[in-house]
Amino acid sequence: MARIALTGTASFLGGRLLRRLVAARGADAVLAVDITPPPTTLQGVRHRMLDLTLPGADRRLVEVFREEGVDTVFHTAFFTTPRRDTSYSHELESIGTLHLAAGAAAAGVRHLVLRSFTAVYGARGQNPSFLTEEKRPDSGSRLGWVRDKAEAEEHAFSFSRRYPGLGVTVLRFATLLGPGVHTFYTRLLSKRAVAVLLGYDPLLQLLHPDDALDAAVLALEHGPAQVVNVVPRTAMTLLTALHLADKVTLPVPHPAAYPLAELWWGAGVGEAPGAFLDCARFPFVADGAKARSTLGFEARHSSREALEAFLAYRYPEARPPAAEELAVSEAGASELGA
Amino acid sequence: MSDMAKVVPIARGRRRAPRPKPKAEPGALEQRVHELEQELRVERQAKRADSLLVALARAVSSGAGALDWASLGRLQRALYFAWHSEETDAYGADARFAERLEPFLEFLYAMWWRVEATGTEHVPARGAGLVVANHSGVLPYDGLMVQLAIKHEHPARRLCRMLALDMFALLPMLAPLLSKSGSVRASPENAERLLREGELLGVFPEGVKGIGKRYRERYKLARFGRGGFVRVALRTGTPIIPCAIVGAEEIHPVVGKADWLGRPFGLPYFPLTPTFPWLGPLGLLPLPTKWSIDFGEPIDLGEHGPEGAEDPILVNRIAESVRETIQRMVDGRLARRRSIWFG
Repeated sequence: MARIALTGTASFLGGRLLRRLVAARGADAVLAVDITPPPTTLQGVRHRMLDLTLPGADRRLVEVFREEGVDTVFHTAFFTTPRRDTSYSHELESIGTLHLAAGAAAAGVRHLVLRSFTAVYGARGQNPSFLTEEKRPDSGSRLGWVRDKAEAEEHAFSFSRRYPGLGVTVLRFATLLGPGVHTFYTRLLSKRAVAVLLGYDPLLQLLHPDDALDAAVLALEHGPAQVVNVVPRTAMTLLTALHLADKVTLPVPHPAAYPLAELWWGAGVGEAPGAFLDCARFPFVADGAKARSTLGFEARHSSREALEAFLAYRYPEARPPAAEELAVSEAGASELGA
Repeated sequence: MSDMAKVVPIARGRRRAPRPKPKAEPGALEQRVHELEQELRVERQAKRADSLLVALARAVSSGAGALDWASLGRLQRALYFAWHSEETDAYGADARFAERLEPFLEFLYAMWWRVEATGTEHVPARGAGLVVANHSGVLPYDGLMVQLAIKHEHPARRLCRMLALDMFALLPMLAPLLSKSGSVRASPENAERLLREGELLGVFPEGVKGIGKRYRERYKLARFGRGGFVRVALRTGTPIIPCAIVGAEEIHPVVGKADWLGRPFGLPYFPLTPTFPWLGPLGLLPLPTKWSIDFGEPIDLGEHGPEGAEDPILVNRIAESVRETIQRMVDGRLARRRSIWFG
């Protein structure tokens, strides 16, 4: 029986996807490949302990994939939150994907799915209103976080070109936000005051995890589809999101903000490197038309609903006014209950 | 939904009139529904105004005590949503922001520049259209005025989305202002997408060369880019509506340029006018010239077909002829104009 191997099952999306697949196809249909075992509540899930960063990981992967009869690999071992240890994230994301793609190609895996981010397009003032899949990732970005992911995508496609049997799908998910999500975005949203850039208010896409999982499952069913953006129904502006969450915003002029944020990050206090401020300055809104036409994916939540679901999860005791008002409005009641 | 979400639970019910008992007469139900609708409308109006006032009043009355994070957050929220709707359209256009900005723009349109718009009937009432105009005036006032001219003087009251220069999409304050008032960044992808969706677009093919012209070069139309707007129009089969703006060249007369001053701020040019930067922010006040905005006969490119977009000679020829048409319209206006200030 052909199995689906999942990497990064200790991550939020990987763990949730593992549960979803176990529920849908049974514990025997999946294989968790991670350095930490899957949660004990998931009984009977096969697990192979494997460090993708180690030299020789590709050889071990070939063995594992052959022994377990794996024909599909879903790779979710990526950092949503930037790390200070940039050399480790480079090893895991770029080199780890290189190992994984090499192992998958040699073991005759049919379909390799990569979890990626719409942020790899780069937040730039020159971006069109909707980024389509043809736009290449920003491999010259100042952010190692973006460069590593762009390299990972490139590795996967280069193996797919050399081994025509290996099909690749890259799912570029918009920023995840919702119940259970813990990223640097949610840490920023948990503070009382958030620094913003004076005079900028870009559009944001916030993706509800349920939509992300739907798209992931559809991608597994559909088969290789190259790059596909996975985005919420509608976008919202950054300040709308912060004010709906009742945050105090502290506007900082951007020439001062970049060095300050970099200093803050270097001092070990900040949540992200200074160059991440681009995401608070320029939009990187991706177009979801391809996901609709090829995968048949239709997002159920808007960015606002994702934000409100997160706020209801984060502040269960004192529901913020945003949630209270939602409860009386016509659309919101069902989301809060879920 | 956006109106419903503005609840501030103070002053609630104060405005609500005591409910009359429904009578059993025929037609009474309709009457009652109508009354309730009326009541709801009044209440919604009141709430929108209240939320900001109440937040401010609270802050003032509690003095220094208001400086805790939660109430500061609520105050900021009320201030923000007094100016912005909670939802924008897919391109970032914000209905309430446009509504709030309108009195100011209308003042500029009707009082300050006394804009005289002619030929708006040439703008299509529905479906895609590409308004092509000459660019001038240092800051993108001309785009906002074209937008307003079409909104006010055209029977269909259409929103003309302007394609904004890169530099304006990058600048603080101006970037959100333009995107919230319906502009998008000028790029072939954006233009093609919007035209295929049947939107009305406005474009200034002169770009930076046009808007930053020196005073002595006024009303001499610069090169029309590389004809990108023609390619998009050909590919989507959209008619081009030439538009000549006269009066905007003199609002900020550029007598010199100090581009090296603008470089650290990411500006492609740094204009020196008789008032800027010498008078500081006061120098940003545009001069009250008399404007005219003339829309010409639509140019139909249907005969060339979408494959014409691949013919660079044809594209350049069309771009040049559109430029000449607008230049002729501008020259005609200038010949009739007796005064910069009074037209």
